[in-house]
Amino acid sequence: MSTKTQDIQTSTLTNTIRQSAFGRWLGLDRWNPQQQSVAYLFLLPSLLGFLLFVILPALGSLALSFFEWKLTNTPTYVGLDNYVDLLTKDPIFPLVLGNTIFYVFAIVPMQLIIGLLMAVALNTGLRGLGIYRVIYFMPVVTNVVAAAMVFQWLFNQDFGLVSSWVWQFADATGWNVQPPNWLADPFWSKPTVAVLTVWKNVGFTMVIYLAGLQGIPEELYEAARVDGANAWNRFRNITIPLVSPTTFFLLIIQMIGAFQLFAEPFVMTRVGGGEPLQATLSIVYYIYQNAFNYQKMGTAAAISWVLFGIIFVITVFQLRFQRRWVHYEVDES
Amino acid sequence: MRRNLPLFLACLLLAVLISGAVVAQEKTTVTWAFWGSPEELATHESVAAAFMEEYPDIEIEIWHEPWADYFTKIQTLWASGDSAEIPDIAFLSPVSNYAADGVLEPLDPFIDASGFDREDFWPGLLEFAMYNGEVYGFPRDIGLEVLYYNKSIFDEVGLEYPDETWTWDDLLAAAEQLTVVADNGRVSRYALGMEGGKYQLWIGQNYGSILDDMYNPSRCTLADPESVEAVQFFADMMANNFAMPDANLSQAGGDAAVFQSGQVAMIIQNASRVPVFNAAGLDYDVAVVPIPEDGQRSASAAGAAWTMSSFSDNKEAAWTFLSWLQSTDGGQAIYTQSGEILPALRSTAMSDAFLGNMDPPANRQAFIVEGENAKVGRAGMFPEWNELSGTIISPGMQTIWSGEATVEDALTSICEATDVFLAENGYPHSE
Repeated sequence: MSTKTQDIQTSTLTNTIRQSAFGRWLGLDRWNPQQQSVAYLFLLPSLLGFLLFVILPALGSLALSFFEWKLTNTPTYVGLDNYVDLLTKDPIFPLVLGNTIFYVFAIVPMQLIIGLLMAVALNTGLRGLGIYRVIYFMPVVTNVVAAAMVFQWLFNQDFGLVSSWVWQFADATGWNVQPPNWLADPFWSKPTVAVLTVWKNVGFTMVIYLAGLQGIPEELYEAARVDGANAWNRFRNITIPLVSPTTFFLLIIQMIGAFQLFAEPFVMTRVGGGEPLQATLSIVYYIYQNAFNYQKMGTAAAISWVLFGIIFVITVFQLRFQRRWVHYEVDES
Repeated sequence: MRRNLPLFLACLLLAVLISGAVVAQEKTTVTWAFWGSPEELATHESVAAAFMEEYPDIEIEIWHEPWADYFTKIQTLWASGDSAEIPDIAFLSPVSNYAADGVLEPLDPFIDASGFDREDFWPGLLEFAMYNGEVYGFPRDIGLEVLYYNKSIFDEVGLEYPDETWTWDDLLAAAEQLTVVADNGRVSRYALGMEGGKYQLWIGQNYGSILDDMYNPSRCTLADPESVEAVQFFADMMANNFAMPDANLSQAGGDAAVFQSGQVAMIIQNASRVPVFNAAGLDYDVAVVPIPEDGQRSASAAGAAWTMSSFSDNKEAAWTFLSWLQSTDGGQAIYTQSGEILPALRSTAMSDAFLGNMDPPANRQAFIVEGENAKVGRAGMFPEWNELSGTIISPGMQTIWSGEATVEDALTSICEATDVFLAENGYPHSE
């Protein structure tokens, strides 16, 4: 068999897969292998690194999740016990899962909305755009531990700045309000952690949105203006649909990031130099606790794979439903 | 010449290798692991230098990591099982956890052969580094707490300084005067700053305990009347603004920070704060911790310990270093003079390195009184303690400090969960 026929056969096979219902479901029908073989060559070095340092360890952790291992002993095979115990017996896992879902729903929409509004404001041809972009992007590159320490001070119940505002408000209005213990109160601690996270990441969504906004052709706005559309209508009917690919990208990236929240609650809500409050524990922090505080490597690996499963399912559904609301400029039909 | 250059280089290399091998034969290398701040690292380095001067044939190699990474890194080294990589002497806490994993060398044979004096440790302290009746480490210091008080604030309020006659009632009476609360409820000064995690001090003083046996527990005793009363005492202090709530304390930067800024008038903490307060030139002194009427002193006999790796290739040299570290003429004196610790050995504490030291606090005798009455009981000495404490006990206690749950309810549910946990993990083990 010559190479050529082999090529043709392979491509027929891939074409069949791509055009199949499953392939279309995954979006493979829009994929062009001829163009991309060169791209893969360029990607090879980073793919090798990815394979060696991400895929292989990940498979290792999958294997580990079926064992009981304390690091210093010989691993013993326990089958699905780690998963079964985690999902049926562990009293803390539902708690950290609930906390993490709260974080995702509190953080992701705020980051997208505030990031978009900031980008729109900066896109109005403001003078000194570069300076504002740097200022708003600064939190993204700030060390999260340093930022969390500062926020801890801002939200200190007795002496923090935010608490001072509450006291001043109480004095000025005569209302009997007192600042809560922002970081230790079971109700307030999660929103407070979310505030730090949004502050830290919103610069990133802003910059990506700004790039997306600059790709929207000016003619569209002009045409709308001629037709008498006001600012809100232009935003609602031009900006939002045309940045939807950017929104889609950010939604996926930020959702994965929010599911993996770790450092913010870890630094901000630790008590007495020890463990963070249970009300703020995230799944990833629970993985860390199991692995390095309780020496339960198998349980830690099992939690990682449950988290992977959750993120995977959500991401696949997002890919699946993107066609309902994401508008690409080039019409593919 | 040029043609001979490779030959010359080869000879040179050979010579270096041989001389290196000769030096290596003469010197035994002992790797020494610890965590600590840059200041502490400097003290450790001076200890290593002093040792190598006295024992020129032993080379000390330092393995230093910050606290946050230390335990994860050393655990991965153990997992590798490579004796060339695993530190021979390591600073660890709690020793029992690691002894249970079999990575530590029992020290009794060395102690017996060398006639090392076990009795010089504070009562209970060596027990803290034991597992299954065998010694696995030498605690470097004893982390027992005393009451630090700000003399200026006491003078300003017009209160007598605390002394060894103080009971819980005296503490409450003083706290009432020291706390400053505005009409709108805003607290500008708390009487006391004390980490919630130190609650067992009150329980021990009141003859209570966390578990019936801290080595091989069969049940949780936090819901027993002595324990409930002690925890209630501490929780009430927080609820009445006498003690800074636990979470506020850590958010404000810890007890040293709030004591220095005058946000609290007293703290209950170990000797590690002494150099900090002396450097800040604070007007303070220390006293023994107030106890209940008819109560007992119950300082915690606990401290991170020097341990020997069971993987070590140079156990004799490692023991030489270990026993020197733990002697009044050796390491103990240097650490004590640095002001960072209350030494583990009574002879060192009584020497000029500690008791005879003229720096503040003036009442160093308070440390000695607490030391002579130290007891084991702050933490469990079995491998699952970290998990029990981290998943059940600490989160439960936090609901008390934050006022979410009443003391009685919280302690009852902690004990129910703890008893289930102990049973699931096969406790009590039959001997």
